[in-house]
Amino acid sequence: MSLNVHDLRKQFGSRHILDGVNFKVAPHDIHAIVGVSGSGKSTILRIIAGLETADGGDVWWNHRSLNNIPAHKRRVTMLSQTALLFPHLTVGENVTLATRGRSRKQAEHWLQVVRLADRYNAEIHELSGGEQQRVSLARALAAEPELLLLDEPFTNLDPKLKLDLQRFIRDLVKELGLTAVLVTHDREEAMLMADRVTLLEAGKVTQTGTAEELYDSAPGFGDFVMLDGKLRPLSEVEISETIGEPVQLMKKIYRFGQCFGEYHFEDGRSVMLPTHEWFRIGMTYRIKRKEEYHA
Amino acid sequence: MLRSSVALSILVSFLPLAALFFLGMEALGTDWGALLTDETWRDSLFTTLYVVSVSTIVSLVLGTWVARTVVNQRWRFTSTILKIPMFVPHIAAAYLFWLLFSGSNGFWGIESNERDYVTVILTYIWKETPFVFLMMIGTYEQLNRGYVETAKTLQLSPYAQFKHAEFPFLIKPLLDSTWILIAFISFAYEVPALLGVTYPKLIGVLAYERLSTGLYLEATEPYAVALIWTCFVGFGVFVSYVMTASVRRRIERGVRR
Amino acid sequence: MIRQGFILLIALFPFVSLFLVAPSMEIGNVEYIVHTVGLTIILSGINVWLATTFAWWLLWTESRWKSVIEWLVFLPLFIPMLATLFGLYLILAEVGLIGTYIGVILALLVVTIPYSIRLAYNGMAVIGRPLLEQARLLPMSRRVVYVLYPLFSRMMRTIALFTTVILLSQFALIQLIGAGLIPTVTTELYQSYAGNNRSLALSNTWMLILFPVVIYFLLSGWNRWMVRMLKGRLQ
Repeated sequence: MSLNVHDLRKQFGSRHILDGVNFKVAPHDIHAIVGVSGSGKSTILRIIAGLETADGGDVWWNHRSLNNIPAHKRRVTMLSQTALLFPHLTVGENVTLATRGRSRKQAEHWLQVVRLADRYNAEIHELSGGEQQRVSLARALAAEPELLLLDEPFTNLDPKLKLDLQRFIRDLVKELGLTAVLVTHDREEAMLMADRVTLLEAGKVTQTGTAEELYDSAPGFGDFVMLDGKLRPLSEVEISETIGEPVQLMKKIYRFGQCFGEYHFEDGRSVMLPTHEWFRIGMTYRIKRKEEYHA
Repeated sequence: MLRSSVALSILVSFLPLAALFFLGMEALGTDWGALLTDETWRDSLFTTLYVVSVSTIVSLVLGTWVARTVVNQRWRFTSTILKIPMFVPHIAAAYLFWLLFSGSNGFWGIESNERDYVTVILTYIWKETPFVFLMMIGTYEQLNRGYVETAKTLQLSPYAQFKHAEFPFLIKPLLDSTWILIAFISFAYEVPALLGVTYPKLIGVLAYERLSTGLYLEATEPYAVALIWTCFVGFGVFVSYVMTASVRRRIERGVRR
Repeated sequence: MIRQGFILLIALFPFVSLFLVAPSMEIGNVEYIVHTVGLTIILSGINVWLATTFAWWLLWTESRWKSVIEWLVFLPLFIPMLATLFGLYLILAEVGLIGTYIGVILALLVVTIPYSIRLAYNGMAVIGRPLLEQARLLPMSRRVVYVLYPLFSRMMRTIALFTTVILLSQFALIQLIGAGLIPTVTTELYQSYAGNNRSLALSNTWMLILFPVVIYFLLSGWNRWMVRMLKGRLQ
């Protein structure tokens, strides 16, 4: 069940949105495409989903070209920024609609998977943003897709909810053995969720690799630190006086009324983190994962 | 200044209701039994129902379909041209159709004045389709395309895509258009007077002629018919808006623009 | 392309009739044209003024009667026009306005104002509250002249146009309320049709079709000139 995107081209007017994009997604992998807005990343997803046609190039799914198959026959579902649940239907009816054979039982199952089993009869406007996005996920999964496309689905959520949902979706996709493509501008999100990452700039692929490979080769790639042999987003780590990997405080600056310190690792990499005002420049402190992430 | 003109608008808008009250008072003396058994009125009613339903349904379907196509295909020129018939007064449109089908010009054996009211229906369709088009095109332009795209990626059939990702948002403008058309077509004089036949007349024509012809000056029947018909339309409006109230509210609250 | 051509053909085909018979060129009595022009100007003016001010009020009011008034104003759209007309006939007969110019204008105003208000309200909704809210911050005269007039000019043109078309469509109303004393192009058309004078009926039809066209171009030109002049004043 692999996806192969080959030499994809798309032009709007005189502007080249996609200029020969190539990448492969291995079966059961989550593959992230990272780029700033306007880099053409969403267009790639829309072409894969069949919502837009490419000017050139091919999309192969399982060694079969998708080019001439209409969107509603591709077995590809997409989760977008807004949940877009059909407002005239209840939560349960939204999910039932997507199941094969319009099965209420299956819909209940998928709502249970996203931990919303008790909201079957709720109306759309009664749900919070995060809940709507989870229903949207249940609905996308209920269609039994072979390939799941995620188009910045966490953009409109608050940070805590975002993290919960990112982990939840990642674990679920892995558990169900799906293949997924995630599009995001957020490098942290890509690192957190994906097995492999493709960097896109002005319609061209600049690099593809695992998160660790990119961390090593792309300077300034995201706000991450290598801790305990794994990449961790900065939101997960903190400076401590006693436990963790040693770092040296080089400089202190004040931003938004808060004190930040620039710390250097032994290998010369640096990182900027919130710091106590009494920490002294030149001294060695320790960097560790926050307690709540050990659970 | 703003206040006085607002008050004036409200006052003018209140006049139709006052008019209905006067209509009711005048209709009081009607012999209702005789009216309901009068064959002339009954035949007129059936013909009117037929003309109204065909013209309204065809205009609604055509107007909606054209609005959908024009927006999807981005036909800007067609969109402009399509509005033209709307700016032709009804009576002028009726005369254009009368000329088109009269005497030796008649197409496919259709005469300009005949019992099946084909020319009346055609005139109304030609005039009202652009009206429906105008009512629907705004809705289609504001429609979040994301819903249709979501429906596609959920592997729904084209029919289900329309049913769930388009139709719910069309309910309100369709309802408005339907009742405006019914109220407008069902009880009018100009078009059916020009293109209709002596028997059966549409009820608007019959009522107006009975009211304005010397022979019937004392008759209260036209008022009674006008009142019954208004109540009939009013009841339809009331029932259809009440019946769809909950789904319309649900959509209004849950929609993402 | 074929679909588009077909739709355009159907939309424009009935105009062929205009060229089937030669229209009559004789204009003996111009009274009915004067009446029509007069009614159009007066009624369009009143409609534009009332509809725009009312829609503006409806957009900002916090009155608890808002929804009731909204319904009251739009309700006449659902009342068959002839039924309203019959009732109005009774009311106007009571106050002695049958056969008068004022009676006809009042009756025409009643049937046109719901459409005009709806057009104005929709037009403002399309422009959107945020932009109009900004305009409210300006002093009254500057707000109206430099912001609202240019923003609303197209909408006001549409209202005037719709009013004209509805007015030109009325035969029964003008005949009944005007008691046959106020002839217009519409009543002339009907009478020449009834009298089997095809070419005269056709010239009246031409007039009925050209009337809105002339109004459209006059108002478009006026709007463009006004907006250009206002822009010039700001430089």
